[in-house]
Amino acid sequence: MTQFIRFVPRSSRSSGASSLNLPMHASVGSVHPAARAAMQQTGEMARQQTGRGSQRFLQGGLSAPITVTWEITAACNIACVHCLSSSGQRRPRELTTEQSLALVDELAEMQVFQIHFGGGEPFMYYGIWEVLERCSQRGLVMCVSTNGTLITPERARRLTEFQPLYFQVSLDGGTPQTNDRIRGAGVFQRAMRGLELLAAEQHSLTVNSVLTRYSFAELDQLYEIAASFGAKLRVTRLRPSGRGRDVWNDLHPTREQYHEFTLWLQSHPDVLTADSFFHLNAFGQKLAGLDICGAATATCCICPEGEVYPCAFFQAPEFEAGNLHEHSFKDIWRNSALFAFYRSMGAGACTGCGQYNACHGGCPATKWFVHHKLDIKDPECVLAGTSA
Amino acid sequence: MAQSPVTYHLVAEVKIRREHFGGILYKYGCADRGAMSFINSPQLIDFLLLGQQQYGGDLGAALDAQNYSPASKQKLRAALDDLARRGYIQTEAEESIS
Repeated sequence: MTQFIRFVPRSSRSSGASSLNLPMHASVGSVHPAARAAMQQTGEMARQQTGRGSQRFLQGGLSAPITVTWEITAACNIACVHCLSSSGQRRPRELTTEQSLALVDELAEMQVFQIHFGGGEPFMYYGIWEVLERCSQRGLVMCVSTNGTLITPERARRLTEFQPLYFQVSLDGGTPQTNDRIRGAGVFQRAMRGLELLAAEQHSLTVNSVLTRYSFAELDQLYEIAASFGAKLRVTRLRPSGRGRDVWNDLHPTREQYHEFTLWLQSHPDVLTADSFFHLNAFGQKLAGLDICGAATATCCICPEGEVYPCAFFQAPEFEAGNLHEHSFKDIWRNSALFAFYRSMGAGACTGCGQYNACHGGCPATKWFVHHKLDIKDPECVLAGTSA
Repeated sequence: MAQSPVTYHLVAEVKIRREHFGGILYKYGCADRGAMSFINSPQLIDFLLLGQQQYGGDLGAALDAQNYSPASKQKLRAALDDLARRGYIQTEAEESIS
């Protein structure tokens, strides 16, 4: 849950972003012409004297991310049809263990709060144990997003050495039929076994589920499965990135399902959403958490070969902010030309919308992957066709 | 018995970071299982960091040790009460005989 506190109004608040966070001379990388054009077409960001909530704090970016998503390897032992990073095979330039350990040190020195390990399957990265150990030593909060199929009793036990460590085990349906059509034959049972083993060692767990038009009907079952392991259910939004582009039209929930989903969330306040459904705030009922995209401002994504993107869902080559084989993470975060542009995007087609302050235009990555534009409404805008 | 001023103790899971607008409080948990607050008061962030780093999280002790004016102390206590309601600080009423 994210909260915003205003204790003392600052009379000297500047009208623009801090020079620390929005460099005058963005020196890292260049901006792909297609990305530059798309971002420029959104217009200028309205400076946030009029902004509300989180936007005015995130404007211009923070000194460091709050959370970094680190897709530590592309290697994966399963092949989900909606995989946002098209994972499967290990990639040639993946960071070595030494490079990864140096990156952990850098993130700790920048005071990043949390690393969210994904992939690929993190347990297919050969240096994962050393990396988790270093995070633990440096006081970084770790969250590992896993398919759960490689968890053994020994691994579940060994993982108790690292703290604070949380797990997200993916299930994309409350039944084998629904889950396995997305994640592969037999994966439901194997993930359930992984959950069982992690729960047996008292690990802190969530069951992570991407909402699709097929899993929608199984939310109650997913909730019960999570509860049976002492876990919370975490439901996240499907994005059309990676292989998700190929299945987007078939899988993304309908507007009616989304509306019912918001009602379901109200009756299940303990369900987590990774702040990923803020576009549904435009229905008129604000969901818990951030009401704005945190890409490139509060979070970003590090990919296996050192590419840094605005977020895990925006792994488009045109939007690469820099590469860790060439620049430090700190340099990319603070001085990337792409991030500087990204942080100053305007509202585009959402300018003047009565609900803009509720959803802030939705997900840029979804706009890009569906229409290769950013100056449009979120393709899943719930007000589409209304007069809002 | 009567209740005198409460004690304030920063929760161990809270991380604090300075930012240009003030700072961020982050109480960790898996992604959205934690809590986060943007605080636009550099003075409050400085005080919380002082309490965390030099007083082991005992904010009451930090408050007593500083030469704040009564008005400033009152303002800080109000802020700490707010943070306690949000789960960043544990409070305990100190009991005394009246």
